[in-house]
Amino acid sequence: MSPQPQAAVGAPLSRVDGRLKVTGKALYAAEFDVDGAVHAVIVDASIGRGRITSIDTRDAEKHAGVLRVISHRNAPKLPYRDNAGSNNPPGRRLRVFQDDRVLFHGQPVAVVVATTLEAAQHGASLVEVEYDAAQPSTDLHEAEPGEPTTYARGDADAGLRDAAVRLDLTYQLARNHHNPMEPHATIARWDGNKVTVWDKTQWVMGTRDEIAAVFDLPADAVRVISPFVGGGFGSGLRCWPHTIVAALAARETKRPVKLVLSRRQMYFGTGFRPSYEYRLRLGSDRRGRLSAAIHGIDAETSSYETFTEGVMAPGQMLYSMPHVSQTYRQVPLDVNTPIWMRGPGFASASFVIESAMDELAHRLGVDPIELRRRNEPSEDEAKNLPFSTRRLRECYTVGAREFGWDRRNPRTRSTREGDWLVGMGMAAGVYDPGRFPAQARARLDADGTAVVEAATTDMGPGTYTSQTQVAADALGLTMRTVTFRLGDSLYPQTGPHGGSSTMASVGSAVVDACNQVRQQAIKLAVEDERSPLRGVPADEVVVRNGRLHVKGNPARGETYRSLLARHNRSHLEARGSYTGPPTPERDSYYAYNATFAEVAVDATLGLVRVRRMLGVYDAGRIISPKLAESQAIGGIVGGIGTALLEHTVTDRHDGRIVNANLADYLVPVNADVPEVRAIYLDGEDNAGNALGVKGLGEVVQVGVAAAIGNAVFNATGRRVRELPITAEALL
Amino acid sequence: MHPFSFTKAETTREALNAGRRGGRYIAGGTTLVDLMRETVERPEALVDISGLPLDEVSVTERGGLRIGALVTMSEAAAHPKVRTLYPVVSEALELSASAQLRNMATIGGNIMQRTRCTYFRDVTADCNKREPGSGCAALEGFNRTHAILGTSDACVATHPSDAAVAFAALEARVHLLGPDGERQVPFADFLLRPGNTPNREQALRRGELITGVEVPALPRPLRSGYLKVRDRQSYEFALTSAAVALHVRGGVIREAKVAAGGVGTVPWKLPAVERHLVGERLSESLWAAAAERAADGSRPLRHNRFKVELLKRTVERQLRVVGGSK
Repeated sequence: MSPQPQAAVGAPLSRVDGRLKVTGKALYAAEFDVDGAVHAVIVDASIGRGRITSIDTRDAEKHAGVLRVISHRNAPKLPYRDNAGSNNPPGRRLRVFQDDRVLFHGQPVAVVVATTLEAAQHGASLVEVEYDAAQPSTDLHEAEPGEPTTYARGDADAGLRDAAVRLDLTYQLARNHHNPMEPHATIARWDGNKVTVWDKTQWVMGTRDEIAAVFDLPADAVRVISPFVGGGFGSGLRCWPHTIVAALAARETKRPVKLVLSRRQMYFGTGFRPSYEYRLRLGSDRRGRLSAAIHGIDAETSSYETFTEGVMAPGQMLYSMPHVSQTYRQVPLDVNTPIWMRGPGFASASFVIESAMDELAHRLGVDPIELRRRNEPSEDEAKNLPFSTRRLRECYTVGAREFGWDRRNPRTRSTREGDWLVGMGMAAGVYDPGRFPAQARARLDADGTAVVEAATTDMGPGTYTSQTQVAADALGLTMRTVTFRLGDSLYPQTGPHGGSSTMASVGSAVVDACNQVRQQAIKLAVEDERSPLRGVPADEVVVRNGRLHVKGNPARGETYRSLLARHNRSHLEARGSYTGPPTPERDSYYAYNATFAEVAVDATLGLVRVRRMLGVYDAGRIISPKLAESQAIGGIVGGIGTALLEHTVTDRHDGRIVNANLADYLVPVNADVPEVRAIYLDGEDNAGNALGVKGLGEVVQVGVAAAIGNAVFNATGRRVRELPITAEALL
Repeated sequence: MHPFSFTKAETTREALNAGRRGGRYIAGGTTLVDLMRETVERPEALVDISGLPLDEVSVTERGGLRIGALVTMSEAAAHPKVRTLYPVVSEALELSASAQLRNMATIGGNIMQRTRCTYFRDVTADCNKREPGSGCAALEGFNRTHAILGTSDACVATHPSDAAVAFAALEARVHLLGPDGERQVPFADFLLRPGNTPNREQALRRGELITGVEVPALPRPLRSGYLKVRDRQSYEFALTSAAVALHVRGGVIREAKVAAGGVGTVPWKLPAVERHLVGERLSESLWAAAAERAADGSRPLRHNRFKVELLKRTVERQLRVVGGSK
């Protein structure tokens, strides 16, 4: 932080864009009124693998309003240049309309462009596609895995063999979809060889670079605009095929084109949290001190890209033990490529590890929290680095006290209320928050207001608000006099808005830019004969409410406005930056939580109802407590979904997603969400960045599913190792 | 969505004329419009009947209740007569859909609603109900939510309505008006099992209009209620459900009306359970013994085997809730 007084940072402020959102004035990708825009609707493959043998577009083309039908038969060859530094996983990305191959059910095979949405939709239904269909492979358990990624320390086989207590457990985790409220949408408009794209994305720079790569354009020929995003959870972290389809359709028809995915198309037009089979073997002594763990991790990926996420890290660093071995294999299937989803990798691994820890605790007759305390490491045993901060013990203590953990009866099936069995469970959570290089620009105007810009995103966590808080304090301005702008690739470059990276990365750049502007003003003042601050050492000047004054002597000073007016300056401006974490790393930097759940289970009918949830978080400094609480609630709701409801189902016969809609893919509704409480430990983590933050958007979901599963076990004595936990597992 | 014409009928006569010419009736539109968007339904002509005078709830001469076809689900659920005379109907309605949908959807439309089978609703999948002769993708596909009763080799889709389960239990009658005049059809005969013609779902003649549903008078006092079992606590169709109405006098069950939902291709009346109950004294052991018959004749599929046991337990639970333990 700067030497500035802290006024906005740490205050529980409401969203600065709240009014825009509730009055409908916040514009989302599909809502931009682009003059002359026509509509595009994608025709999806109705087979799971094979080749297109014919496409009959005659009826579609005859339909009133249809301008063009584009498929591999008539699409131009697209350069699809490599795009290093993108979020595209290793492999050969899907190339739209470049050949006759179908790689998964739902792959775009044609697009219909029409003057109205209705004509485009109807036109799409008139396109007749014939296929030579092959049997798709969509079952994680039946396909051949790819090359493994491994990790080892010590001798895990021997360690396990010699352990007094051994567990060998296999878990099945369902595929989850992000299901943001706002569907993915793109409007593309070409002006000569330049293209402007309004897109739902969590990374305007990434989408810019991908479009430039696909069409072989210089980066500055592409502008991506995305001021508001109606939820993402990771679904906007890469540029998907439909965005390319929209840009291609616009170029071919020489009209601005709007393309909105239907809810059904969201299930195969964007990515998902992959399904896993995860076998964990754990060894400990009789007191529960862990000695060895062997992790066998299989995850689905597509046949054309190898998707990786941080599923290995928790098993390496969450608990102390000498012997660990891990094998992480991607299983290529005839599906589209997964993408990170809230708490990627960590949320999946934590369900496994934290469920297993609960089993071990039960086996040994040790309290689950005590078992975790006995295995708390003093340093990161994988990186051999000290922790920047690791306050899990405090999370346990505060959580146990606030949740009433002492009321938990460790005997299963011991608490009954009518038809309901009641139980409590807990889990630890960890996440590796991202830190990416970022830049920001701050400009202080002569009227005493400021504008700060960065090409980041606000997918809902409240970036507009929290960055304004940071900027306001660094500039010494009120919230009202600072405007933060984001979502435009013309703004200073940032990394993706994901992985809990934004405050640490963009926030640091914003602070840097604002500090520079403030220092420019202070320098002007202290060197100015006419300023009441003349001759004051610069580091003894602070700025509050737009007024510079001597620290400890508010009477001696002047406003930005008078200073700039006297100097005839229209504005002061600076560009700030954040260069990312130090390399090599000096600390092990993670965010942590302890999550607690109380559930009631109707064991006769197999129903699980979550009654109470509490999360206690070690996430560094909290910039915006109200937003942070909302994040925790959202993460816990997401975790309830993963634990009890969410499951993308693929039909093994033809690879179709069976429940590609919000009536059949179940997310929690209000009635499923109980009292949720979030506690952020006071403090900061100064090793990671100037703000002392660790990032919190992911860690709030990690561990939730395990806490619920463990509570179900405490209630019923049933250990369910398959997510989601549904009625049939409990009958 | 395919192109269609839309007319609003000012009178019942106008509606029937349009219906005879092949027009599809639309009231709340909560099912039909959805299915049109997915191009599952492709009507050429829609006839809006929402202005017709079919929106009253009235007590019949014999003490039953007649609910007009255009009474909305929320109106019917809140109606004092429905609430006091047939709580099972109110509860079934209130556990359906969402508040927004219940405000739009009507009783006539509710019993006409089409299955939630995802293969039926996905026009690229094989479905005999949507396209006779194309096959049934659900038989070998993902069939967790599908029917275990009343199925055929052509179709295993459930009927989705909760209210229809209550109506089936209470042996309601459907009032119809057609070009040839009025008639009444017992609920059990109104909704058709799939057999070899799953595309035929109701015993409706061309152009016929549902004018109301009549719940017959039943001996009083009558205790009744509806239990719906589902994965999430609101806004989901039933995995299993049970509608139960009991007339108990002198500690003996004199009449029992029981039906199940979420398990049948039509709302599933449970006569074997009813027979087991009638004449018996209330007792703790009675409910399980009666419910043991609930899944008689079931034909489970790969993913819905659990429904056999869940159905018995659902019926047992609701018998106990309605009957009490004494």
